[in-house]
Amino acid sequence: MARAVDVPAPSLRQRPWVRRAAPLLLVVLLAVLPLVLPESTNETLARIGVFAVAVLGLNVVMGYTGQVSLGQIFFLGLGAYITGYGVQQDWNVVLVFLLACLGAALAGLVVALAAARLGGLAIAMVTIALPIVGVPLAKRLSDYTGGSQGLSARFADAPEATGLYDDQWQLYVVLVIGGIVFLLTRSLVRGKFGRAFAIVKGNEAVAASMGISPYRYKVLAFTIASLIGGVSGFLYMFVIQYTSPETMSFGHSIELVAAMVIGGAGSIVGSLLGGAYYVLVPELTNQVDSSLTALLQGVVLLAVLFVLPGGLASLVRRLGRGRRRLRAEPGPGASPTTPLSTAGSATATEEPGTERRGHA
Amino acid sequence: MNMHSRSRRAVGIALATALALTVSGCGREGDAAGGGGGGSRAEGAASPGITDTTVRLGITTPLSGATAGPGTCTVAGVTAYFGAKNAEGGVQFGDGKKRTVEIEALDDTYDPQQAKANYDQLKDDVFAMTAGLGTPTNRAWRDAAIADEVPQALIMTGDPLFSDPEESPWQLGFVPVYQNEGQAFGELLAASGAPHKVAILSQNDDYGAGYVEGFKSAVEGASNIEIVEELTYEATDTSVDAQLTQLAATGADVMFNAMSLVPLAVSSLQKAQQLNWKPSWFLPSNTSSPGGVLQPGGGAAFPGVYSVAFSKAPAGPAAGDPDVVEYLAALKQYGNYPDPPAFPHCQWSWMVGATLEQAFGEMTEPTRDAFMTALRGISGFEAPLMLPGTSVDATQAGQPAVSSVVVQKFNGKGYDTVEAFE
Amino acid sequence: MGTFVQLVVDGLSAGSVYAAIALAIVLVHSATGLINFAQGGMAVLSVYIAWWLTTRGVPLIVALLVSIVFSIVFGALVERFLMRRFERGDPDTAVVVTIGLLTLITGVAGWLWTYNNQQFPSLFSLDTVSFLGVSVSQRSLGTTAVIVVVMVALQALFIGTKLGLALRAVANNPESAAFSGLPVGRLLMVGWGLAAALGAVAGALVAPQLTLTPGMLDNALVYALAAVILGGLTSPVGVVVAAWLIGVLENLAAVYVPFIGYDLKVAVPFILIFVVLLVRPQGLFGRKTVVRV
Repeated sequence: MARAVDVPAPSLRQRPWVRRAAPLLLVVLLAVLPLVLPESTNETLARIGVFAVAVLGLNVVMGYTGQVSLGQIFFLGLGAYITGYGVQQDWNVVLVFLLACLGAALAGLVVALAAARLGGLAIAMVTIALPIVGVPLAKRLSDYTGGSQGLSARFADAPEATGLYDDQWQLYVVLVIGGIVFLLTRSLVRGKFGRAFAIVKGNEAVAASMGISPYRYKVLAFTIASLIGGVSGFLYMFVIQYTSPETMSFGHSIELVAAMVIGGAGSIVGSLLGGAYYVLVPELTNQVDSSLTALLQGVVLLAVLFVLPGGLASLVRRLGRGRRRLRAEPGPGASPTTPLSTAGSATATEEPGTERRGHA
Repeated sequence: MNMHSRSRRAVGIALATALALTVSGCGREGDAAGGGGGGSRAEGAASPGITDTTVRLGITTPLSGATAGPGTCTVAGVTAYFGAKNAEGGVQFGDGKKRTVEIEALDDTYDPQQAKANYDQLKDDVFAMTAGLGTPTNRAWRDAAIADEVPQALIMTGDPLFSDPEESPWQLGFVPVYQNEGQAFGELLAASGAPHKVAILSQNDDYGAGYVEGFKSAVEGASNIEIVEELTYEATDTSVDAQLTQLAATGADVMFNAMSLVPLAVSSLQKAQQLNWKPSWFLPSNTSSPGGVLQPGGGAAFPGVYSVAFSKAPAGPAAGDPDVVEYLAALKQYGNYPDPPAFPHCQWSWMVGATLEQAFGEMTEPTRDAFMTALRGISGFEAPLMLPGTSVDATQAGQPAVSSVVVQKFNGKGYDTVEAFE
Repeated sequence: MGTFVQLVVDGLSAGSVYAAIALAIVLVHSATGLINFAQGGMAVLSVYIAWWLTTRGVPLIVALLVSIVFSIVFGALVERFLMRRFERGDPDTAVVVTIGLLTLITGVAGWLWTYNNQQFPSLFSLDTVSFLGVSVSQRSLGTTAVIVVVMVALQALFIGTKLGLALRAVANNPESAAFSGLPVGRLLMVGWGLAAALGAVAGALVAPQLTLTPGMLDNALVYALAAVILGGLTSPVGVVVAAWLIGVLENLAAVYVPFIGYDLKVAVPFILIFVVLLVRPQGLFGRKTVVRV
């Protein structure tokens, strides 16, 4: 899979045998791991895969294109509901998968066509509306969604022919689908579209002057993010096998944004780390003291960002670069159009030398 | 399945060299491929989570977030119950052994995904799952519990699905299904004979809908009852003033308020008084606490506030009751819950402890199978804190462990059981 | 007709609750350029302190004053020792830090005071005032009156005082503010302290209605954010008007538009935002900001 290869390690990468052998080694490793790991680890890894894909989608629109989306969980929920409904109707699983992707992408496109006309914080507010309206909407459409009692869909039992256990089968499916999504997204953001996204994020006026329509690229990024959200919804249903309106509550959408920033905005590895954070921190805090989970999660979040403002991916990058000093910026850097703040704070330069000059 | 990890690893290493993916299943002996569960063991061999001296129970319930108040109670009650029993040396099991009961509770923040994750984490370490609060959070791992043959016993949801032994062989709800509670009040009202106009305000989910369904089924065909308006609210709403305004305008003389949130129940009572609308009022069992809802809401201003219950309230007339005294002391000492609880879930959870002890005492083998059989055999058991006229009866198909409730009326301090609507 | 007017009045009361938190968000945004998701959490913390004092027999008004002083100090400390590290970095990171702070504060409140509902005494009585067949509680009237006073004070602060001007200058461009000799760090602390104090007032106003829990303001926060965006980030008056508009229209839509109903009324503010911002991107009362290339 792409994730470990993505770590920029120029010195190693220059050696051709590493470039060829590393992905192969990784594939072998990922093929074997599900067989040797205990069941509960496999289940945790599968959940990490689900949310890593969701965070990856969020990264496309927010990390790479700079448009704050507080609605990513809605597309996960939509994908999960479509999957659940399709499975209950006994549709072909491949068809169900395609419908989950396309349904979410279509919904994303419609929202984006409207929302991308707005700038900055307004996009954030329109996207907040998705989970907030999505929850009562899911209840109202109870003929399809099962209302507040939710939808169960048990379709992830391992086929007899494979001889696998359910948890192994689920993890393989997550690894294959998630791996493909990660690879495709990686080539997307590294190619022509990725450069256009970065320019739109950097400065919309500049983008327009270069013949790049900010509107069209924002819509594109948002639609892709929704599509990936739909994929994560399918995987959610595959692994959790149940969804209800609570799946897409507003709080989870905020947690996804937090996971993205903690993993590392605008980073493929960061998406994976964000997914791991989303799944592992609640498990960890539950182990420490289940009555103090909120307190502990807050401490962990603040501690991680205090040490690594660029997210966990910056740590990976730092390890990759060896002794080279790392600057605390995850992606192409803060920009005047980055929403959730006005132009003022965002235009501040990141040079440590100028920091706090006025305070003296 | 940590117990099989060694053999799985060996298989994995073999496969690493062969790179053949298809023969991997043989890593786990015993189970049928694809089962993944812990059920099919040799007859009589102990299930996971139980030894000759201890038994371990798992709970997944909201301990943070909006439902953490009642969620914390679901853990505190049963923890206090077995804390007190452990201090006396443990619980006597039907196989003649005395075991101490350990409880591992995890926080799911009312998130189905997290509940499933918690279940996955607990399922191999615990003998049974119990007491967790919430419909979606319990539904999220119901299928998995059935496949793994892990008991999901005496959980806190009124969703009827969990009490259907055909659909849910390893499940049993504890609290009455929501329909029962609504029905009990509906019957009382219909039996009054006098004409009543009823306004309904219910939570827009299975909880509210269940109450309304039960109420309507009871008043169906009763010519003296007319439902004049039926509105809903969302659990995330900060105010229900508009609904109250609309309902007050109907001039109804009975308000059926299927509300599970304490703040909104309080402000409903307050708003009605501001509008000078004082109907007889029905509140469900979990939002009718005298101290937590009716005093701040000014319940005494209404001609009657009715509720249904099966447990004694720690405040009010039952305060001196020996059951209540023992319960509150244990809650403080072993349940990490110093104040008298404002949520009935603490009492219910305490009764879950007593019911579990009853099942343990009848269970002749240390297996999950034997436990479910023993549990489903309990009938006519008057758990501590139970009101006269109610009992635990797990033998009725389609009903949870508790299906009998009594209707009560607020007397200004606590509740009295009533036979008729006045 | 009576019902209609009553629904409007109910909507205004609900809007005042949203406005209270929205004003604090506007203040911190004007002073630091950030949206603070922890604004509600910080307010809840100070309400808990006031509540805890009242349970120890301290008179309500004294307890409130103590909690306001605590909030100023707490807000300033949060800025100095937490937010300052992130103020010049990626703004998304700073916002996520405020989300972390909200989680932490909620957890601390739950740990110290449990997740149970606590009754918080009100400054205003629940007695009803009736006019033209409409009833409104003194509490709602009092809340609204305080909100209006705070709104006017804030508007005056930003437009008419040196401090307000300096705060805005720092938020708009910390670099040039520093060059022109403004004590940027101290001003940021003042901004956070003031916003936290305002949050404490807002929290104390709405706590009797919502009952005190660690997550008391979580649901209202979304409405407050909607009001902030709709009213224009820079205008206290605009934000309060927007909050009232949201409260009233939401009620009317729920009752008189059958398709919306009580379950989907939450969509109303967002539809409103969408429509208004298409026409006026800076919000109802906001100033247009020029984006530099």
